[in-house]
Order: sequence, then structure tokens, then C-alpha cells
Amino acid sequence: MSEGWLSLLQQAFSLLLSFDHDVWSIINISFSVSFAALLITLIPSLALGFVLAFTQFRGRWLVTNLVQTLQSIPTVVIGLLVYLLLTRNGVLGDLKWLFTQKGMILGQMLICAPVLIALSQAAFSSVDRRAWETARTLGVAWPKAVYVLCRELRVPLLLAVIAAFSRILTEVGCSMMVGGNIMNVTRNIPTAIALETSKGDFAQAIALGLVLLILALILNFTLGTLRGKAVPRSH
Amino acid sequence: MANSNIACIIAEHVTMHFDGKMLFSVQHLSFSQADVIYLQGDNGSGKSTLMKLLAGLSIASEGSITAHGFEKSHWWRKDGLVGKALYLHQHPYLFDGSVKYNLTFAAKQASKNKQLLTKRVEQAIEMAQLGHLLDNSASNLSGGERQRLAMARAWIIQPTLLMLDEPTSNMDKPSQLLVLDMIKQLKEEGTGLLLSSHQACGLTSLCNKHWFITNKQIKVSDDAPHNSDQTLLTTMELNYAN
Ligand SMILES: Nc1ncnc2c1ncn2[C@@H]1O[C@H](COP(=O)(O)OP(=O)(O)OP(=O)(O)O)[C@@H](O)[C@H]1O
Ligand SMILES: [Mg+2]
Repeated sequence: MSEGWLSLLQQAFSLLLSFDHDVWSIINISFSVSFAALLITLIPSLALGFVLAFTQFRGRWLVTNLVQTLQSIPTVVIGLLVYLLLTRNGVLGDLKWLFTQKGMILGQMLICAPVLIALSQAAFSSVDRRAWETARTLGVAWPKAVYVLCRELRVPLLLAVIAAFSRILTEVGCSMMVGGNIMNVTRNIPTAIALETSKGDFAQAIALGLVLLILALILNFTLGTLRGKAVPRSH
Repeated sequence: MANSNIACIIAEHVTMHFDGKMLFSVQHLSFSQADVIYLQGDNGSGKSTLMKLLAGLSIASEGSITAHGFEKSHWWRKDGLVGKALYLHQHPYLFDGSVKYNLTFAAKQASKNKQLLTKRVEQAIEMAQLGHLLDNSASNLSGGERQRLAMARAWIIQPTLLMLDEPTSNMDKPSQLLVLDMIKQLKEEGTGLLLSSHQACGLTSLCNKHWFITNKQIKVSDDAPHNSDQTLLTTMELNYAN
């Protein structure tokens, strides 16, 4: 059995290193769809997180709890929702986005945004009020003071972005339902792994799994260096 | 009396409430470039709150606080009061980064000639004796070093009005003297000062006005605060210096 594993791993590596067309097309689709979803949602979500953390308005409580709820909805349910929206008789049926990358991006945006909003709200709520006051009183205009805050919070904000990105990059349910797992069009890493495993073609599944594993290692080690050797210190 | 060349901040009929309880109220206060004011009051009487109001960092429950005679800022900046009188927190906040980063952060805000600024930063490092700490992370400084860095940061900006909230509370005598020198120099350059301090220190002898918060009112008197132990301490400090 161990020999079987070894040869599967060998096959997986050779698929990756020989730039196998199918494997790299799947990787490419996964990253471009998820990057697009992340890029579109990033700024509005951080802005909403900022507003929720710093302002008091009617309905703030409601929005906060809704965002928290959306965060814990399973991705298949979001897939179902987007499917119903995009299906020919659906509200957005005229867009003809079902089983396209655009449809997948829409679904992933709905998964990504609540994570970004909730985590950035938590990050902004944790900031020391004096950071804002100090920047302002030293003469920094408010838009730049927002930037100064984001710099002070770079680690928790980056954590939020990474958490959101890894959630959409690895989700199966929504991509499967909305994208349809069409080779060279909407087949991404998680849907391909699910399919290949069910067919018993483990080499490709392992190759794609390795890509996610390596990515997770890179992201977490980068974050580790970013955090530096900082330890909490009392004053 | 109202000299248009002198920058000042004027508070009229200001009242401050927290959770329905009144902290203080005052009819009229003016803080101008020519003033060196000593602000006194018990713990919790509202000294820090008053300074934050004058800095434009929080809003008074009632009344108005306005700035007069300041240079017009750029038309796209509608800042109002914020940034007119620089407020130094009782426990200063230092930005995440090195000591040097915190100093250059301040320098970038003072929109002056680059060369002069570099010189001013160097002077600040010299005066606050931060040279050996430049590359240290600001979060690892001691309490007194933090206050010295915050003071140097304000000194670089050379503000028109400066409010110091207990600037020497964590400092030993040598550090207090360093800060005193910086404050004196700012005063000579035309900065108006508002100081709060519990212990009488060398700072109090600089003051020419006295604000005193008692019974939820702010009493203003034009004479320097006189107090026998203060004079005593000041003499002690001078001896220490020599
Ligand atoms: N944001 C706030 N919300 C509610 N109460 C506040 C707030 N800020 C200050 N207070 C209250 O106002 C009072 C005055 O606080 P402040 O910090 O101005 O006192 P202080 O005179 O500076 O005292 P100290 O000498 O200890 O520095 C305190 O009782 C404090 O609890
Ligand atoms: Mg105080």
C-alpha cells in the first residue's frame, strides 16, 4: 500500500512540474475567479467594517448580526440562492451567468464579504482610540488618518483578507452548483478534487491538494514574519 | 484686545456631560499663543476631557469652541478645530514601528522646508536624548522614554498651541529637565501652552495663567500659581541641574 501512495505522490508532482495542461488550467481558473471575487469585495467590505466599528446608527446591531449569520451559512445554501437568482426564470436570469465564471464570482463574493466585514469590524473595534486621536491632532487629514489606522492594524486586517481568500478558494458547494464543474471553464481546484476522487483518479486530486497545501504554508509563514517577534507588553 | 495676529481657541458656554452627569461647565475660556496656562484639578475633575475638547477630538455637550487667527489650511481640508491645538495624551500613543518612524511621521506632517525639517528632527533626537533608541521598537520603550518620544514628536511639529497632559508624570528629574528645555524653547518660538500636572515641577514656574477646576466650574485667574512647596521643588530641581 505504501508503494501505491509513493507512486501517487510521484505522479502528482510530475503533473505539477510538467505543467500538465488540465491541472494548470484548473489552478488558473481557481485563482482568477477567487482573486476577482476578493478584489471586488475588499474595499467596500473593509469600509463597512470600519463604519460598523466606529459609528452608531440605527440598525447597526441588526447589520452586525446579519453579517455574523451570513458568515456561518453553508456555502451550498449560498450556491442554491445564487442558482435560483441566475436560473433562466430567476431575477438575474437575463444575465445568462449560470455555469460561467461570472456566476462563480458572484457566489464567492457573497461568501467572501461577510467574512471580511465581520473580521475587519473586529479588527477596527480593537484599535486604540488614541491612534486616531494622535494622528488627527498631529495634523493628519482624516482620509490619511484612516490609512494610519489600517497600518496600525495591518496584521489583523491581513488575517481577515487571508481568512476570506482561503474560504472562497477552498469552497466546493457554491462553485459546484453555480459553476457546474465544466472543464476549462468553471472547473476549479475544489470541484476538480471532488470529481477526480469520486472517479478514483487520485493523482490529479493529490496534485491539486498539494497546491492548496503549499499556498497555505506560504501565506501563514508570510504572516508569521509580518507579526515579527512582537509579544504583548504592558505599559 | 482681540489681536488678529495672535492665534487662539475660544470656548463659549461650554458644558460637558457624560451619561447625563455634568462634568464641568464654563462661561468663557480663551487659550492663545501668548498664554502659558497651568491647568489644575483633582483626579477625575475633567482636565483631560477639557483638553480633548479644545483639541477638537471630542465634542462638547453644549456650547461652542472655535479657532481664530490660524493660517488658512488648504481649501479641500475642512478640519475645523482638529489639528489646531496639538494634544499630547496623558499616556501617549506611539505608532507601531521604530522610534525613528514615529519621529519622521511627525516630520512629514509639518509642511516645511525639507532640509530644515531634517535638522529639526536631529535636534529633537539630541534634545530628548533618543539617539541610542532610534532603531528600537516604540512599543518596547519605558514609560518615561515614551513620554520623551511623544514630546519630541510634538516639538518637531512646532505647533501654534500645545496641550500637555501630565507630560512628566513618569519621568525622573533628568528627563524632566530635558522636557522642560524643549517646552521653554517652544515657548520662545511662539507656541502657546496649556499644561496639566499633579506634582508641581519646573513647568509650573513657566506659567502665567491658572485654570482651576473645582465644583464643576473652571476658575480662571491671571496670576501665576503660587504655592510654597512648588517653589521649594523648583529650587530643588535647579540645584539638581547644577
Ligand atoms: N468617554 C467617556 N465616557 C464616560 N465618562 C467619561 C469619558 N471620558 C471621561 N469620563 C469621565 O469623566 C471624568 C473626568 O475624566 P478626565 O480623564 O477628564 O479626568 P482628569 O481630570 O484628566 O483626571 P486625572 O487627573 O486622573 O487625569 C472621569 O470621571 C471619567 O470617568
Ligand atoms: Mg487626565
